[in-house]
Amino acid sequence: MQDFVSLLPLIVVGAGAILLMLLAAFEKLEVETGALISMVFYGAAFFIQLVVGGGPQDVIFDKIFNGMLATSNFSMAAGLVIFGCGFFTSMSCHSYFGVNKFCTLDFYAIKMFSVCGMVLLTMAQELVTAFIALEIMSLGIYILVGYDRTRLTATEAILKYLMLGAFAGAFFTMGAALIYGGAGSTKFVAISQFIAANPAGQPLLIGGAFFIFIAIFFKIAAFPFHAWVVDVYDGASAPVTGFMATALKAAVFALFANFIALSSGFHGQWIDFLFWVAVLTMFGGNLVAIGQSNIKRMLAASGIVHSGYLLIALVAINAEQFTGSVIGYYLAAYAVGTLGMFAAMSYLGGSGEKRVNFDDFKGLAKVRPYSAAAITVFLLSMAGIPPTAGFMGKFYIITSAISAGQMALAVLGVVSSILSMWYYLRLVISMYFHDASESFETQGAPLATISTFVLVVFVFAIGLYPIVI
Amino acid sequence: MIQDYLILSIILFCLGILGVITRRNVFTVFMSIELMLNAANLAFIAFSRLHESMDGHVLAMMIMAVAAAEAALALAVVILLHKHKGKLDTNVFSLLRG
Repeated sequence: MQDFVSLLPLIVVGAGAILLMLLAAFEKLEVETGALISMVFYGAAFFIQLVVGGGPQDVIFDKIFNGMLATSNFSMAAGLVIFGCGFFTSMSCHSYFGVNKFCTLDFYAIKMFSVCGMVLLTMAQELVTAFIALEIMSLGIYILVGYDRTRLTATEAILKYLMLGAFAGAFFTMGAALIYGGAGSTKFVAISQFIAANPAGQPLLIGGAFFIFIAIFFKIAAFPFHAWVVDVYDGASAPVTGFMATALKAAVFALFANFIALSSGFHGQWIDFLFWVAVLTMFGGNLVAIGQSNIKRMLAASGIVHSGYLLIALVAINAEQFTGSVIGYYLAAYAVGTLGMFAAMSYLGGSGEKRVNFDDFKGLAKVRPYSAAAITVFLLSMAGIPPTAGFMGKFYIITSAISAGQMALAVLGVVSSILSMWYYLRLVISMYFHDASESFETQGAPLATISTFVLVVFVFAIGLYPIVI
Repeated sequence: MIQDYLILSIILFCLGILGVITRRNVFTVFMSIELMLNAANLAFIAFSRLHESMDGHVLAMMIMAVAAAEAALALAVVILLHKHKGKLDTNVFSLLRG
């Protein structure tokens, strides 16, 4: 029974996806209704997940699934972040598609299917299960990216994303095959037992893990494989970009953390490699971000930098007693800031996303002071200014790096955080210190506006939560 | 014996990588990716024989199913590209430049 309850959020969202897919057959149903239905299901899944709670590592349906899925506190936290992202993205979509008319009900169904894949990914304890979950998630996201079939940039984005994503997927399968060859099983438990029995490090296992890292680096846009992310985020529509930046990253990092925490021997082998990838990801991302004039591209590049911070947390985890609390907290903190930013972009962007550059937001504070204040809060959270969630997230990551003895990494993380102020504050300056040249009128339903202000509250609530509790 | 299959698998995988990197036709790129996935399947089945368990066979079937889903989406994208540009060359798409 406990197993069934743990799986219930996933079942709820899956049922919602199927329901929406069936409803899409009725032409009379409004697209807006689809957004509301999907919000109900995300909300229900979120509350079930919250009520069920986590607990220590618990294999669900051991007999049926052969130990391939397991829940823990960490997977529960990642699941909550993912459901929250789905909920707020549906709110932004509701307003966005009121102005940009290319949406159908299937959009929300596909989004819910990809959320199913993400939640499955956080629970996966076996490599091929992880691959299937990864593909369920990715196939959905590819379609969402290219949903506006008339726009050429969206088509280019889906082409680039699909080619590189499928390429990365092939690396993942090859890695799984090599690990299967080395350890005789693709289950995480069996692999960690094998590593404990053979600490010397078998070539097949090292090669397989390397291939899987390549695939994961593609998905989280870490250093050598980060170039695609800017183009894809630019080509996708604003709410979808927000969804990709937050939910997808949360799911893939949950898998990455579960995989890297197989055993301390395995983690120790890769610590130097991850160190360099984390450093290069942070500074490479900053370098890309500083040169951008388009806000979506800047946020994409800042997403690369945030992947770098999360990699610091992965270097610093204690694989013996893995809890993932630092990573889970940072994922939530990053998600609220980024989702809020994209929710604001969704309703301020106008039809055809005509306001996307830094210059287009000049003087926003004069015309719409509350929206400008909300965007400022999100940017300060991403930059890591107290008392926002982003500050606490960075604080935990840096302290965990210090307590793991990674002083260099902690210092470089702080330096990168200071560098990133440059491009976050640039938008704040262009909003506050210029005169408005336009009226920033918005049409459509106010749900995106509401979600922006709810997320402002969440930025402070998540930031103050560890102090108050 | 098992080495032969593994070497074949690695050759196929490398050919796939080479195809993705050098070819400019979208179809050829997707075919190369399928080649890489099938190289992984071959490795799974060879290792399954080595370990004398059936796990690898099952996993290879799963990967085939996923590859089929991916190919379906890839073909849809190819049609979309052809509608826009009338060409399947990846070079004609260079609107988004960092």
